[in-house]
Amino acid sequence: MNVPPERDSSGRFVKPEDDAPKPGDEDMHPMSKLLFGWVGSPRTPLILLILVILICGGLVLFDLGVNRHEYLDFANANGFYAIWGFAAFGLAVLSGWPLGKLLRRDEDYYGEAETTPQDVESDS
Amino acid sequence: MSGVLGQINPGLLLVLVGFAGCLIPVQRVRQALMVGTPIVAMLLLALAERGTDLATVSVLDLDLILYRVDSLSFIFGLAFLIASFLNAIYALHTDDRLQDGMALAYAGAAVSATFAGDLMTLFVFWEITAVSSVFLILRAGTKAAYQAAMRYLGVQIFSGVLLLDGLAYVYKSTGSLSLDAFTSFDQPGAKLIFIAFAIKAAFPFLHNWLQDAYPKATVVGAVVLSAFTTKLAVYAFARMFPGFEILIWIGAVMTVFPVFFAVIENDLRKVLSYSLNNQLGFMICAIGIGTPLAINGAAAHAFAHIIYKGLLFMSMGAVLYRVGTAKASELGGLYKSMPWTTIFCIIGAVSISAFPLFSGFVAKAMTMSAVATEGYVIIWLMLLFASAGVLEHSGIKIPYFTFFGHDSGIRVKEAPFNMLLAMGMAAFICIAIGLPTIGGFGYGWLYNMLPCTTTAPADVCMISGKEIKPYAPYTVDHVLTQLQLLMFAVLAFILLKRFGLYPPEKPGTILDTDWLLRKPGFGMVKWAGTVWGKAGPAMTGFFAGVGARTFEKIETTFSPRGALARGPLTVGMAMWSAVLLGIVMLVVLLAS
Repeated sequence: MNVPPERDSSGRFVKPEDDAPKPGDEDMHPMSKLLFGWVGSPRTPLILLILVILICGGLVLFDLGVNRHEYLDFANANGFYAIWGFAAFGLAVLSGWPLGKLLRRDEDYYGEAETTPQDVESDS
Repeated sequence: MSGVLGQINPGLLLVLVGFAGCLIPVQRVRQALMVGTPIVAMLLLALAERGTDLATVSVLDLDLILYRVDSLSFIFGLAFLIASFLNAIYALHTDDRLQDGMALAYAGAAVSATFAGDLMTLFVFWEITAVSSVFLILRAGTKAAYQAAMRYLGVQIFSGVLLLDGLAYVYKSTGSLSLDAFTSFDQPGAKLIFIAFAIKAAFPFLHNWLQDAYPKATVVGAVVLSAFTTKLAVYAFARMFPGFEILIWIGAVMTVFPVFFAVIENDLRKVLSYSLNNQLGFMICAIGIGTPLAINGAAAHAFAHIIYKGLLFMSMGAVLYRVGTAKASELGGLYKSMPWTTIFCIIGAVSISAFPLFSGFVAKAMTMSAVATEGYVIIWLMLLFASAGVLEHSGIKIPYFTFFGHDSGIRVKEAPFNMLLAMGMAAFICIAIGLPTIGGFGYGWLYNMLPCTTTAPADVCMISGKEIKPYAPYTVDHVLTQLQLLMFAVLAFILLKRFGLYPPEKPGTILDTDWLLRKPGFGMVKWAGTVWGKAGPAMTGFFAGVGARTFEKIETTFSPRGALARGPLTVGMAMWSAVLLGIVMLVVLLAS
């Protein structure tokens, strides 16, 4: 049975969890532990958000003290690039909701569901 | 000695060794040739004299220039050779004669086309790129790959036919096949050649072959394919259509529309294919601007792009190789088992996103400045939007959904060493040409190779009367504004994820404009075939019946045994003949 998935009690989309237990981090690659050990921490998302907000704030403040020389006048406005970057990214991502509904079809729509090439040696 | 060596076309060497490689059964011998030949080719290129015809041949009264190097072709040719070297290393774990050989021949054909000094030579190698590259898709061995390969081949050959048609018009009107830039679409052959290039450059509505074929190619094949065909078309546009204003608008549209498809696409190799389209848009737009700064921007962007796009395809190829899928909905958490691949993918991602200190920044900055300098406000805003879009699909989506995000529970081995080595070298180049100039490294190395420089204002900068000034990417303005754009886009990503507004990755097929051909178009052809299958025999029977009856009537009337032949002289044929002759004589008498 295909259970309509993916929304939790607050309406957010979530990926359905497999019933089988996930492998732990014991078999993690040593280099992964060294470089990305911090990624799995529950506090990481919040720390990253705060860090990015601080950097963004710093960039806007720094912009106040710089007299930029843009070829296009309106681009001289403080924070123009910040607003454009935020809005453009938001627009691109949010357009995914209606576009997905409009354009997404079954994987076998063209009869090409199987596309894994033969030079793959999957060991997962 | 260097004189003779400097006249050997490095591309032709690659083609010959590539085709020969298909016949060498010993894996290590063949692969040593595949890796070594691009190095030899780079040395040959370094010895080549610029601006003269180095190899010519006369065929059927046509004087063909097989090898000619100038500042525009040099940077593209070098990028192709570096890519073929990295690709050969990336392919070392496989034992596939056809794939190895065709990959090198394909690269060689692209290099040879770049160094072609006339349209006919360009056409010949244009077609060899099509024929050799199709094996990289076919070798995937799936039915979907076979069908995509046939569509790919059809489109590529059609591009070649248009080029041949166009060059015939050029030859007829000018008596020459030289690669002189067009100045107007009214020139004979210009439109045909433009469309031929447009197909290979994957212009909007002509782009589907790219997203169709590349994701279905082999692991190695997709990496190889990403480097050559489209950038050869970019080179051809820079050579023959610089300053054509329509390219500015087409390029800008090319940067924007793939962003929306990439957001909802689940197959990450297809996401990279859309991203490729978006990147080509920046180059095409710059060629349309056509100023020396813009042409430099297009060339630098192509060079940087060949490396970082190859790197991204390599990292997704490594994931596909180990996991068996490159679908975002099935991946996640792979940083736990593929840390090196993760790092290299991130370097490719920040390079394509044009973060300062990486290659995309020093390349794209020139195009953006050129567009702003010429006052194209809407175009500039479109490119700025597309820059944030690149960050979305290639900068964040690719590494995040593969290596981080939701833990898929998949634990695999790290990619084979040869893959890591190729990725590491590509990552090194991404950083080395992106840094400020420090101790021999930095963007200065790339900028010194650009087509239009103060020291060598080359004949390829056809737009005269424009001052060529050295360009400085690392100004406070550039770094600050680029970081603002990117960091606020990153902030948008974090907030959208946090509030559950980021669309989930779902399996499925995303419809594009090729739907028109593949569903209604194919349906119509199929319907026409069915109708013809039934109507054809019926029509044949009908016309055969009509023909037989008509013949029978004629025979029964006019044959020696027919109605008009029977009876005495006063009836039948004799009577009618006498009446007709009488009428003719009467007319003649009256007329005289």
